[in-house]
Amino acid sequence: MSDWEPKILAFLCNWCSYGAADLAGVSRMQYPPNFRIIRIPCTGRMSPKFILSAFKQGVDGIWVSG
Amino acid sequence: MGLQKRKAIYVEYAQAVPLKYAIDADNCIYFQKGKCGACKKLCPAEAIDFEQKEETITINAGAIIFSSGFNPLNPADLDLYQYNDRPNVITSMEMERILSASGPTGGHLVRLSDKKEPKKIAWLQCVGSRDMNRCGNLYCSSVCCMYAIKEAVIAKEHSEEGLDCAIFYMDIRTPGKEFEKFYNNAKEKEGVRFIKSRIHSIEHVVNTDDLKVRYLDEDNNLQGEIFDMIVLSVGMETPKDIVKLSQKLGIELSKGNFCKTSTFNPLETSIEGILVSGAFGGPKDIPQSVVYASGAACAAGEILNSARNTLTKTVEPVPETNVIGERPSIGVFVCKCGSNIAGVVDVSKVVEYAAKLPFVDYAAENIYSCSQDNQDGMAQLIKEKGLNRVVVAACTPKTHEPLFQETLISAGLNKYLFEMANIRNHNSWVHKDSPELATLKAMDLVRMAVEKISIAKPLSEAELEVNQNAMIIGGGVAGISAALGLANQGYDTYLIEKSGELGGEAKKIFKSANNENIQKELLSLIEAAQNNNKLHIRLNSSIVNVEGFVGNFKTVIASDNKEESIEHGVSVIATGGTALKPTEYLYGEDKRIITSLDLDKKFINNDNSLKGLKSAVFIQCVGSREPNRPYCSGVCCTHSITNALELKKINPDMNIFILYRDIRTYGEKEYLYHQAREAGIIFIRYLASDKPNIKIENGKISVTVQDTSLNQYLEMEADLVTLASAIVANKDQKLAKFFKIQVNEDGFYIEKHAKLGPCEFATDGVFLCGLAHYPKPIDESIAHGKGAAAKALTLLAKKKIRTSGTIADVEPLKCSSCGVCVSICPYSAPSFIPDDARFFAGKAQINPVLCKGCGLCVASCRSGALRLKGFDNDQIFAQINAAFEEAA
Repeated sequence: MSDWEPKILAFLCNWCSYGAADLAGVSRMQYPPNFRIIRIPCTGRMSPKFILSAFKQGVDGIWVSG
Repeated sequence: MGLQKRKAIYVEYAQAVPLKYAIDADNCIYFQKGKCGACKKLCPAEAIDFEQKEETITINAGAIIFSSGFNPLNPADLDLYQYNDRPNVITSMEMERILSASGPTGGHLVRLSDKKEPKKIAWLQCVGSRDMNRCGNLYCSSVCCMYAIKEAVIAKEHSEEGLDCAIFYMDIRTPGKEFEKFYNNAKEKEGVRFIKSRIHSIEHVVNTDDLKVRYLDEDNNLQGEIFDMIVLSVGMETPKDIVKLSQKLGIELSKGNFCKTSTFNPLETSIEGILVSGAFGGPKDIPQSVVYASGAACAAGEILNSARNTLTKTVEPVPETNVIGERPSIGVFVCKCGSNIAGVVDVSKVVEYAAKLPFVDYAAENIYSCSQDNQDGMAQLIKEKGLNRVVVAACTPKTHEPLFQETLISAGLNKYLFEMANIRNHNSWVHKDSPELATLKAMDLVRMAVEKISIAKPLSEAELEVNQNAMIIGGGVAGISAALGLANQGYDTYLIEKSGELGGEAKKIFKSANNENIQKELLSLIEAAQNNNKLHIRLNSSIVNVEGFVGNFKTVIASDNKEESIEHGVSVIATGGTALKPTEYLYGEDKRIITSLDLDKKFINNDNSLKGLKSAVFIQCVGSREPNRPYCSGVCCTHSITNALELKKINPDMNIFILYRDIRTYGEKEYLYHQAREAGIIFIRYLASDKPNIKIENGKISVTVQDTSLNQYLEMEADLVTLASAIVANKDQKLAKFFKIQVNEDGFYIEKHAKLGPCEFATDGVFLCGLAHYPKPIDESIAHGKGAAAKALTLLAKKKIRTSGTIADVEPLKCSSCGVCVSICPYSAPSFIPDDARFFAGKAQINPVLCKGCGLCVASCRSGALRLKGFDNDQIFAQINAAFEEAA
């Protein structure tokens, strides 16, 4: 289990957190690659269905930020 | 700023626009010694050009705006502060960098000498401001109190082990909107200490890196306290080269080397056609700078009105290909971004992978996808291969989506049939040590984009005519200025005033801080409005009803018992404020106890009773900075001092006392404070907890106050007591409801953005200026009026507005008419279809013009009747399903 890495899916608001993730890149901040970002127009768009669906797909953690 | 080393090729700061590198020639080996040139050899885009020379370009312009800004004062020459000798004495600008996540310490709060986290920090205010003796800058820099409080609060947040923050000040000046609350909060909840004092010296504590601040407290006792770090709250100065340039051009400067302006022309320099905005016109914070910048743009537009649209060209639109019903045919373009992506991600592998994905008919790599020749090539390929959807795997859609969408449009493809996979900012740049995993991630990101776009549909953007009339509600100086700004640029403008004449509160004011006669100036402003044939004034009028939205308002006004319906594209709210009628200090019980405006009236009427006065007392903060009205009214300190000086003119021997809490003569108004003290006016500071007491005995008025610097009660006789009463908003809930705008707890309207949107509301097409926004003096109201006009103009000038394609849409058959969407939307986009409609009466509908595409209604719809175009459920599910396909 030592090399196990969780799969993390992030739903980021286009206007803030998505831009922050861009800025993290511009600043060359390093983080693990087991991380995917889905851009949403606002966290208001978030639906519990997305979270359930992701867990069903085998995602280990979900981050909603906005 | 010298806090950290950087390379000779650098980006100025992380948010720079454009985000491009520059060569620092002073430190570049090639420029200094003529050797090296490694960057030129290595740059795959061949972007390095050592031959670039400074060029002189001549531009013909009808108006010039000076927005040359300020320099933070360099405290090196002020020996007292030991800035040069002690590494732990830093400026506030350096502190900003230390607190910044993109700063040299990554936002970790440390002091410079030993990189240890400080436990005690002192901020010293007025370094290079309000200081005639040491630096010659008598003016107040206006912004330093607020930024020092902000830094202290943020520093406390950043500190892991607890931090003690002390601010050494003369007067705390927080007259801006919501600033006083922030100050109170810092003091009462965050525990920032505020020490009213004068700095005597800074001593180095032997065998440590600590510093001892020696200061005179309010009782004039010398005190000392040791801190780990000292932050100097440095003031603003006009850059020397701008002073020289102004002198060369003949732009008149003020005593403090700021651009000289007048109260009624706050945006104009002494040279016709040259305008001013920002800190060159006097120290300003961000919202003020934004207001003045918009205002200057309006003033320039007025000058250039006859030349409008004489140099514009229109682009021929390309007809859009209908792809509905076609099988998806996707082209995937994977960008190397030089080595930015290709240095980490195996781009050819990603292309190979993309080519095998469903519906992908073309996949290729580019060195720079965003280059112009590549755009042309992409458009060509779309047409040749018959592609009907495009994915670009490159950088971020936030900067590059519009560019690629233009390319789709030029190839006749709907711009919403485009998706980006962010394999640079979210991948190669942040996973540079794991190239293999980054390559797998890039494949997943491409797959997510392909899956999402394969089920995308072309979206349409509704087009809407913008009615070219404007309506201004409120005929005070802000409203008149906004109206003139629009009318002078050729727009029919309706100015609605509820009273019988224009001018508002300014009609009651005697003199400005610059000693100008307000009534004379106001009269010419009103005459300009009356003589403008594009400006239609409606007096004694009130708003009965408002319908419609941005570009298409229909307002019914009632004037003298007759109603009139006016159609207009934009609305400006300039409903103003009034002076509070005090309920304390025996106001109304004796005619010698009056408000500031009552005193102005006496000056305007040349009242004889003023001539016999032997003593006068002014009481500040009457109704302001109180628990139930916790804001500063901003103008009263200046107003009282101006009036006190007028009284001194009448009788130089008059004893005048101003009882205050903090004197807030911000900016160059500080000269007045100085002048008043020189004229012998006595300033006595009182505490909110122990307010002055006023009594009338045997026909004599006496005022008792505890002088905080003498620690004893003083009693003074007064022939006249002037109460500096608060400015209160003309709160109008009905109007707020009509225009769907918000009012804050103090009764002032809430602007779109406290810093960046001070002239407009969150509701499109509605703009804001003057006292309705927040208390401010006449010059700032006029600039705000012009600023609101400029923002309104950007909308009117478009003539047509296009809505976004990615907006909410209702399936009426599924709608249960529950109304959640109607109540939840911050932009008032959903509404019920009227009951008398032929189809779907009572169901929800979305106004595409107002919808911002946030999806709030979509997520809250219980019936699943709402969808967000471009971010549809099935599209997001497709992304979720593809997210970890390759790299598990």
